[in-house]
Amino acid sequence: MVAGGAQGIGLAIVLRLRAAGAKVGVIDLAGPALSALPGDVTALAADITDTAALAAAGAEIAASLGGVDGLVNSAGIDLVAPLSDITDDAWERIIAVNLTGAMKLARAFEPSLRASGCAAIVNLSSGAGLVPLKHRSAYSASKAGLQMFSKSLAMELAEAGIRVNCVCPGAVETPLFRASISGGEDEAAQLQAVRARYALQRIAAPDEIAAAILWLLSDEASYVTGVALAVDGGRTFH
Amino acid sequence: MADALSRFDGKTAVITGGGGGIGAAIAARLHREGARVAVLDRDVSALPTGARWYLHEGDFLAEGAPEAFHAAVVRDFGPVDILINNLGQSGRERAAPFHRSQEEVWRFVMEISLFSAMRMSRLCAADLQARGGRIINMSSLAAFAGNPGLTDYAAAKMGLIGFTRSLAREMAPHGVTVNALAPGAIRTAAHAAMPPEIIADIIAKTPVGFVGEPEDVAAAAAFLASSEARYITGQTLLIDGGNWML
Repeated sequence: MVAGGAQGIGLAIVLRLRAAGAKVGVIDLAGPALSALPGDVTALAADITDTAALAAAGAEIAASLGGVDGLVNSAGIDLVAPLSDITDDAWERIIAVNLTGAMKLARAFEPSLRASGCAAIVNLSSGAGLVPLKHRSAYSASKAGLQMFSKSLAMELAEAGIRVNCVCPGAVETPLFRASISGGEDEAAQLQAVRARYALQRIAAPDEIAAAILWLLSDEASYVTGVALAVDGGRTFH
Repeated sequence: MADALSRFDGKTAVITGGGGGIGAAIAARLHREGARVAVLDRDVSALPTGARWYLHEGDFLAEGAPEAFHAAVVRDFGPVDILINNLGQSGRERAAPFHRSQEEVWRFVMEISLFSAMRMSRLCAADLQARGGRIINMSSLAAFAGNPGLTDYAAAKMGLIGFTRSLAREMAPHGVTVNALAPGAIRTAAHAAMPPEIIADIIAKTPVGFVGEPEDVAAAAAFLASSEARYITGQTLLIDGGNWML
């Protein structure tokens, strides 16, 4: 089950899971991207901040797929703003989506994951949750909070055979990343500045993040829980 | 997953200290996935022999031993693609409270757990850079958690993490990734030698509630060595059942 699976990293993990033989469910906002998912994916429109919609979607997807063994949360929004420009609404929105949404999602799917007996949750955090980014105070706080939520949950759910980990990407070639740098005075210079922060000197493809998520979901990672794995081309050195 | 079982076809992998425990599990895993595997250890009798195995019995710390091993690997298998710096040891049988610790034991632990990684990496660096290879260093939960009487071992294992990060930056422009694994309690001979009450205590502190197997670490090593992990470098991955949660 992939939340935010209609585009970006979420879509990459959906395609990888299908290729690996999994039955896949997706929750995302209604729109053309959700409608365009392959026909064998159980796709439901739901807002990750909507408790009732998540509960309904959780039940429907568990029934449709015959159970849930893996939960990926890649739903997330960005906010680039100096402190004085952050409105209460904008702050509350980003925490509601990036942090509270992860809790609501996990809560909605906990019964299915417990029934599996051998399940894994992967939350998409960010390098910005490991090291701070200027003008990303709300985003960094939400992603750091997501990591500690995941670690605490890893302790709680271990006895049910459920592992909980985070993946922390840096810049990834996604609509979210493009939106964060477009509109600037010199997009090419901005891109170059971003690349220079990475030891590998390039931005990730969504599939490179999906590869790590798939590994953490798999039994190959059966003794790995409570980690925040940076998949960032050598930026944070966590 | 036929693809997964041939991920390392045509690749040469070197594992120091691969005669038993975690190193042997990594060797078996990479071999199973198609790699030519070369192992240097004092005792390699537990490993299988046959095609794509090169077992080199010897003491890494002996004068000229790493150089001779490396030359033999290159001669028989060609340049190295994957280097697993797994060799390491605590001076546990000579462990002492820090104020009575001996410099001789410190030097031994540093030589075998930290300098060995430096030496083997330096020998393989040129080939790895030419081939976009992989280095995986074996750190330990002990580097993070600390254990009384094992200050030398923790220092060496944390040293490996600094080594990993710095080397990752240096090798990245050549397409080489450098990462570290930090296993927690894993069922090995060293683990079995611990007093039962200490093992019980470790399990009590480990959220998943059991001791890991060498194969759990091997699975992570195979992932980091594969093209799946090409965007991961400079990282330290704990395989500890949730013990530390750094």
